[in-house]
Amino acid sequence: MTAQTETKPRKPGLGVLKSLLLLLPIMLLSFLFLAGGPPREDPLPFIAGIVTWLALNILFFLMLYTGKTYRYRRVLFVALALTLIITFAASILGTRGSLALTDADVLQGKTPFCFLVIPTIIIPALFTRTIIFPGSLLTGFAPIASMLVLWAGATLLVGRGWCSWLCFYGGLDEGFSRILKKPVIKSIDRRWTYLPWAVLLGVVLLSAVTLSPAYCEWLCPFKAVTESAAITSTLILIQTIIFVTLFVGLVVVLPMLTKRRTQCALFCPLGPLQSLANKINVFDVRIDPEKCSRCKLCIRSCPTLSLDEASLESGRTLMSCTKCGQCVDACPRKAISFHIKGTKVGISADAARVLFLYPTFIFFAAFGGSIISSAILTVLKLVTTGSMY
Amino acid sequence: MQKLKAILGYTWAALLIPLAVATLFGMGSWMKLLVSGTGLTVSPWFTGDVVARTVKHDGYETRIHRPVFQALIGERREGFVQVDWGPLEALPAQVDEEVDFDDDGQADFRVVLDTASGQATLTPLTEYVLNLAGTFRLDDAWAMRATLRNPRR
Amino acid sequence: MQGFLLGLANGSSCLAFCAPALIPFFMHEGQGVRQNLVTLFKFLGGRMGGYLLIGLLAWGAGSLLSGAAGYERLLIGIAYVGLAALLLVAVLRKKAPAGACAFEGARATLSRWPALLPVGMGFLAGLKICPPLLLAFTGAASAGSLAGSLVFFLAFFLGTSVYFIPIPFLGVFRRASALQIVGQFAAVIVALYYLFAGAILLIAG
Repeated sequence: MTAQTETKPRKPGLGVLKSLLLLLPIMLLSFLFLAGGPPREDPLPFIAGIVTWLALNILFFLMLYTGKTYRYRRVLFVALALTLIITFAASILGTRGSLALTDADVLQGKTPFCFLVIPTIIIPALFTRTIIFPGSLLTGFAPIASMLVLWAGATLLVGRGWCSWLCFYGGLDEGFSRILKKPVIKSIDRRWTYLPWAVLLGVVLLSAVTLSPAYCEWLCPFKAVTESAAITSTLILIQTIIFVTLFVGLVVVLPMLTKRRTQCALFCPLGPLQSLANKINVFDVRIDPEKCSRCKLCIRSCPTLSLDEASLESGRTLMSCTKCGQCVDACPRKAISFHIKGTKVGISADAARVLFLYPTFIFFAAFGGSIISSAILTVLKLVTTGSMY
Repeated sequence: MQKLKAILGYTWAALLIPLAVATLFGMGSWMKLLVSGTGLTVSPWFTGDVVARTVKHDGYETRIHRPVFQALIGERREGFVQVDWGPLEALPAQVDEEVDFDDDGQADFRVVLDTASGQATLTPLTEYVLNLAGTFRLDDAWAMRATLRNPRR
Repeated sequence: MQGFLLGLANGSSCLAFCAPALIPFFMHEGQGVRQNLVTLFKFLGGRMGGYLLIGLLAWGAGSLLSGAAGYERLLIGIAYVGLAALLLVAVLRKKAPAGACAFEGARATLSRWPALLPVGMGFLAGLKICPPLLLAFTGAASAGSLAGSLVFFLAFFLGTSVYFIPIPFLGVFRRASALQIVGQFAAVIVALYYLFAGAILLIAG
């Protein structure tokens, strides 16, 4: 064990003035994203937009001022997942009249594109220049091209941080993982953390052979809360049972019992792809071995099992780290920090954190903010008029 | 060297801010650029591929798509051809048509479609037509897919 | 393509079974990366020979099957279900079964011809009957022609070989256990797929 040096704990966060100054550009940009054009007769869209804008900016200010990332990120992340379900349902019911996906919907490209498909479309796209997904390229709700551009931009910005800041499903298992105070299942065999790689390999290969999105057709747990094929055959019934079982097991029960994000850490195939993309991302999370007291609180608290004993020695998280900030906030000796590659560890940790938060939050405000705002609007309309539209 | 790496790191991190803004504000342009630049289309296994020929009838038309045998490399041994009839309001109660999907002057199959219920029967007229894969009521047409054996394999 | 992808999905199991014998073989004293690469290519060459022989046998089996018109789908369905179950059992065992790697026992014999040792080891590895190979055999048997069967096994060989390429480079050994675990999971997923495909063939007749 390295010699412990007594260091004066760094006062967390930035001061009020600095936090407000850094908040201003975010306030302006998020207003532009959420304003949605000139004022209209109907005040509801404006109310939904303002509520979202206020919530986003208050939480960002608190992140800056308190120096804590995880707890405020978590609020936004869970809100994003819950509001996605509402927004999705409302959009699909409005355009198709039913959440059940029919063959006719598939033929007409009425399926909204989802990021989880991305690993499976890459090889077929390279070989055939076609997207093996029954969606629309440029029109409709969540067209393929817009989702691909968003994903590519987000991946360049945050790498694997996608999984804790922008994925609109991750908030579900994160939310369930916070319900119980203590875990019932205290340890998870680390070998399970390799399963996402196998799922990635399996679905990529199967999709390449069959030219259809294997993950969507067989393994996506979130089909249970968004849309899935109308049950018109035994095969579809089997698929639906798989979706619901995976959702209940990986997204609800296991996160509750383990207090870890089991779907994200132990199953989702997009995670490994983001981990590979993370190699070219400038941000990571580092541990200063000289400050670390080996209390292992970070290992116990990491929601995605991205820290182990070797991490503490090497000063690096595992490649599955989603930059959620939990370990950074949890470390009692402030030995863990957001870090910019090429710079010295622990030096200007605040600057690194702010530089990470800025583009991430800009993206969240536009992308996540629109989903949250849309859901609030849907609820307001339902409450005031009895209809979602 | 360390200083240079640090400068590059900070610069790269700072550049991500305008990148985020550019991605979001330029979404429409990026989308169109992605599609036009790559030539990507949705897989014909879903879309039924492009319409190869149109046969006009009294008030409605028959749209015969290009047969689909797409594989990752080359072609598959089996595929399908999609035929649409529309618009819906102009369709007769029953469509009874012989379809020549490969435009060789010889009818390949005969289809009888009840446009109220979507029930259809398919009679193959060549060895390459296997069976009826299904009928589908689209927004403005009835579509039918016939399973085919690839004559090139 | 299916052969290549089957090889890719199962190649890490092949490596896992043979790694304890292979890695020390490549870690021979004084051998640099270039020499190890030469050895590896000899090994893979022998392996390809073994696989092409299997491909020939698969075509023969397929020709016999095609005479049993109407039962072909049934037999392939049974083969898929049985082999998928075997693959599941093989993967879920705690440790590799004895004799899982073909050339452990034959190495002493082959050592009499040092230049041909890697070729011989590779050939034996190619002939080693294991569930992924049997699945490939079934797939190749339904290819319909000699060329089809041989191409199927060539593709299978290429898919499995991807995992052997890093062996001459020392750094990969740290990742060997991770690769093994991923391979086990991937093999389970592929086995489930073939179980399902076989069941569909049996149900549909």
